[in-house]
Amino acid sequence: MTQSGGDINVTANREQPGSISRFLASLAGRLLLSAILWSSVALVVGGVVLSFAFRSYVLSDVDKRLEILLDTLVGISEVSPEGEFRLNQSLADQRFMTPYSGWYWQVSEAGQEPERSRSLWDFALDPGHQNRNFSLRYSITPGPDGQTLRQAEHDIILPEAERVFHYQVATDMAEVQAAIDRFNWLLFSALALILVTVSLALVLQVSYGLRPLRQIKRDLSDVRAGRSAHLRSADEGKMPEDLRPLVDEINGLINQNDKLVDRARTHVGNLAHALKTPLSIIQNEVDGKSDKGAELIARQAKDIRVHVDHHLKRARIAGGGTGPGLEVKTRVEKLVKAVKVIAGDKKLQTNIECLEGVSFDGEKQDFDELLGNIIENAAKWAESKLSINIIRLEEGLRRPMLEIKVEDDGPGVPDEEREALFNRGTRLDEQVPGTGLGLAIVRDIADMYGGSVALSTAGLGGLAVTILLPAK
Amino acid sequence: MRILIVEDDATLAGQIADNLKDAGYTYDIAPDGEEGHFLGDTEPYDAVILDLGLPIMDGASILKKWRADGREMPVLILTARDSWTDKVEGLDAGADDYLAKPFVVEELLARLRALIRRSAGQTSPVLEVGPVRLDTRNSRVSVDGAPVKLTAQEFKLLSYLMHHEGKVISRTELTEHIYDQDFDKDSNTIEVFVNRIRKKLGVPVIQTVRGLGYRLEWGGEAA
Repeated sequence: MTQSGGDINVTANREQPGSISRFLASLAGRLLLSAILWSSVALVVGGVVLSFAFRSYVLSDVDKRLEILLDTLVGISEVSPEGEFRLNQSLADQRFMTPYSGWYWQVSEAGQEPERSRSLWDFALDPGHQNRNFSLRYSITPGPDGQTLRQAEHDIILPEAERVFHYQVATDMAEVQAAIDRFNWLLFSALALILVTVSLALVLQVSYGLRPLRQIKRDLSDVRAGRSAHLRSADEGKMPEDLRPLVDEINGLINQNDKLVDRARTHVGNLAHALKTPLSIIQNEVDGKSDKGAELIARQAKDIRVHVDHHLKRARIAGGGTGPGLEVKTRVEKLVKAVKVIAGDKKLQTNIECLEGVSFDGEKQDFDELLGNIIENAAKWAESKLSINIIRLEEGLRRPMLEIKVEDDGPGVPDEEREALFNRGTRLDEQVPGTGLGLAIVRDIADMYGGSVALSTAGLGGLAVTILLPAK
Repeated sequence: MRILIVEDDATLAGQIADNLKDAGYTYDIAPDGEEGHFLGDTEPYDAVILDLGLPIMDGASILKKWRADGREMPVLILTARDSWTDKVEGLDAGADDYLAKPFVVEELLARLRALIRRSAGQTSPVLEVGPVRLDTRNSRVSVDGAPVKLTAQEFKLLSYLMHHEGKVISRTELTEHIYDQDFDKDSNTIEVFVNRIRKKLGVPVIQTVRGLGYRLEWGGEAA
């Protein structure tokens, strides 16, 4: 189990190159992109429809006024007995008097000079006599002074004369257009504001909505780093209902994996243990016999024993921190007691220094195996004194660690030979019993927990072994 | 010295038994946990060799029961389970020593001797009472440096008395500790053995305590 968990990216990591495209490919990116895209489209369509509706409304209002004007104009028109066209009362509106005021009328008859509102001044609207049309028509037409006009036109036969007059009423679009433009500007700035607000809200929503996923990611890397045995979010009841099955499944998977590892370990253990009794019998049977066959068998039995020990010890390493942790002080005391019993008659003065409540974040059997081997080794070499010092380190570390220092007053190990102690099967002694696997397994266990083992010269004169292990 | 071997592998148990016999011990073998527990509970053993993985009842449970019932004989756990966790737990259950398989018989015997010695309150592997010297490591007896040749039964008897120097030992106790359970116990043979040992040693270290048994003690040449 390594310390550096791989990143399962839910959110973008902005420091890295290609982060934009990676962000867009991420779940949050997809959600955000599609949500912003859709709300933009909806807002634009809404804006266009609104703008169109407003324009239609304004135009129809203008058209209505033009129609009324046209009707009024027709109503006050007459043909004099002399056959001359005239208005029997003036259109009492200043707007038709002021030149280029924006409000115009014109009545024309084919072949005659048209009657025009004073406001038209020197300009004439295009009467378009080519085709007669007695229905009311609206159109856009150029006006005086570069104006664009909305005009209503109508061909009328006045009752007094059987002659066709072409009536035109027009108004400048500038004002209307300005109103429409103002409205559009207002509308689209409002929509843009809405889009920005909605986008911000979406970012918040996505980040809030995906928070449980990020939590799962953190939990998973905790599991990988051995800080936790399963996804903790499941315990705290914070998981949303729709993610709970996923979390439960992952936890189930982790559990099953643990069980498989456990079972495999048990099988290896059982196999190794089952081999040991027959091995004992073989060894005892050939022990002391000096013929060639017996020697060969003894040597092979010894080899088998080394293999069995090695694989059994490897299989035993559980690795990974979990649940409650292990109270270190009492455990060390028990181990020391066991080592003393096994060391037999050797009188050892041991000194254990450790605060109450200091805990190791990991499996008891790993701790036992690691420290048991080291203490046994120290006891084997010590003259009379053995010292164990345990402190908890916290400052400047990614996680709290235990520093365990085991020292003896034995002969020690020269610098250049220390590293060799960790090699499998290496024994610097040939007299003292042991398979030489102790320190190799010690390093394996420490590595498994992201800890370390270092050798140095002890204050007592012998070898000092300093172990770093994760603390709870 | 009478030893109980609780071991389910008959071949291994036989091997241990042969070696114990050669070293001058008496033994009983229990092939499963139930019988092992029963024997340890009812017979007076000087030491027990106990396997942990046993049929019917496991070794640790047997040990805990014995200790809970006040059986204080030294127990050596002999097991394939050699992890430190197993060792700590075995010793916590009340074992006095722990030896992992595969093992060398010499080591088993050495540990057994040390166990018996310690439980009898002796610290040295060589027991000395006056001029009589008994080396538990090689089963040799000497008086004033001159070797004395004893039979296996005589050695067992003397060894038991020397381990319990100064204490009155009844004939029954002696019988129980030097014969295995199947022996037809007749305490008269003990008297014969004691007399022979007295003759061979030639120094008055074994006293008869009338009606109670024997006591091994050195009161000086005059006694």
